[in-house]
Amino acid sequence: MLPLIRSEFRKLGTVRSPWLLLAAGPLLVVAGVTGLVQSGGNVHDPSVQSKALAHVALAALFTLIFGIFAVAGEYRHGTITDTFLSTPARGRVVTAKLAVYALAGAVAGLVSGVVAVVVTAAWWSAKGGSFSFAAAGSWRTLAGGVAVNVAFAAIGVGVGALLRNLAVAIAAALAWIALVEGIAGQLAGTGLARWLPFSASEALGRADMTGTAGFLPQWGGGLVLAGYAIAFAAAAMVTTLRRDVT
Amino acid sequence: MAEVEVRDLTKTFGRVTAVRGMSFTAPAGKVTGFLGPNGSGKTTTLRIALGLVREDAGTALIGGVPYHRLARPRRTVGAMLEATGFHPGRRARDHLRVIADASGVPGRRVDEVLAQVDLTSAARRRVREFSLGMRQRLGLATALLGDPGVLLLDEPANGLDPAGIAWLRGLLRRQADEGRTVIVASHVLSEVAQTADHVVIVSAGQVRFAGPLDEIGSTNNALESAFLKLTAAAG
Repeated sequence: MLPLIRSEFRKLGTVRSPWLLLAAGPLLVVAGVTGLVQSGGNVHDPSVQSKALAHVALAALFTLIFGIFAVAGEYRHGTITDTFLSTPARGRVVTAKLAVYALAGAVAGLVSGVVAVVVTAAWWSAKGGSFSFAAAGSWRTLAGGVAVNVAFAAIGVGVGALLRNLAVAIAAALAWIALVEGIAGQLAGTGLARWLPFSASEALGRADMTGTAGFLPQWGGGLVLAGYAIAFAAAAMVTTLRRDVT
Repeated sequence: MAEVEVRDLTKTFGRVTAVRGMSFTAPAGKVTGFLGPNGSGKTTTLRIALGLVREDAGTALIGGVPYHRLARPRRTVGAMLEATGFHPGRRARDHLRVIADASGVPGRRVDEVLAQVDLTSAARRRVREFSLGMRQRLGLATALLGDPGVLLLDEPANGLDPAGIAWLRGLLRRQADEGRTVIVASHVLSEVAQTADHVVIVSAGQVRFAGPLDEIGSTNNALESAFLKLTAAAG
């Protein structure tokens, strides 16, 4: 498995696009926190600070797309043929990609987390508030945000391996987050809606959501997201990866 | 070195039967020309032999073993397929290093095969800057990377200029003379007439002739008339 992991790291390290994609996460955090303050967010309210730090979890949108590229990007460029010629056991390829992309997602999440702390603290100080890690589970919000970045990267790997078509996979993922989950949640009712992936990511990525109606506890959100990642990867392994590569 | 043995291979895509009971053996130490019109099942057969497409029936074995059971596939079989791609933003050398990493091939082989296909000076250029001929050479370098005893090449002369084609012919000859099994799928008969020892002519997914090229006559005209007769008879 180590040679495969090294190969996956080299795939990532030798092209530019994944880094541009991952760099968009911290930028979104800067813009999001700034927007929150500029639109009148009260810097003396601990829940507003928590909301600012929760942008780390929103940045996971980019680790999701990053993960989709892992397998679907290889189909897009036709490099999947060489990948499977090197490693005919396709499940091992997906396993290595899950490990590497989850780790890259963790690093991206950590960078987003540091950026969120710096930008939030700077705005709080500029507006005369006092930034405090003790406020409203800040640490747990940051840790949860990083975990969402990891989980979304892994879910992206599974979704891309399942759908194989890069454009379709990205469109489906974005449509789910922007539109479909909201509608599905309304149809299912809040009791079931909180089990849906984006809702679970909100529970995981913002500690003070725990106990709010319509959200799982933070740890529950984490377990549910891990379950989605495993389910997508497993579905890809038993269906798509057995299909012909023509 | 390992021979390639295809037995009673059948594959259907939807309503199209691409390969229909195909059987032949490509011996070690020979260049086997795998000839047939477009859509005759050549590429599908190669993809089955490489474990990329799953057969409906029959077997394709490399030295008696199916591809997915090979302990070190890249060191046993080198392949160049038409639809194989490169990431346009990746440098040629990095493309090979990615594959060397995954297949346990020592890193020094990367520079060796780049020199072998005359791409050393382009090694650090991104593939998007490559001509079709250069991409073919990089594909060949990929096939040669593991120093395999079996080469499966699909239309390897595509995009090569006359000097490149002459070079390819010499390369394939040397590989076979070293005892390797070389299969070249092509519909360019003149190319095969000059390179192959052995031919397998297919049409509509079935073998129409398999044997030494001498049995047909190694002139281009003799091969062409035999090819047209054999593939037309299939309807």
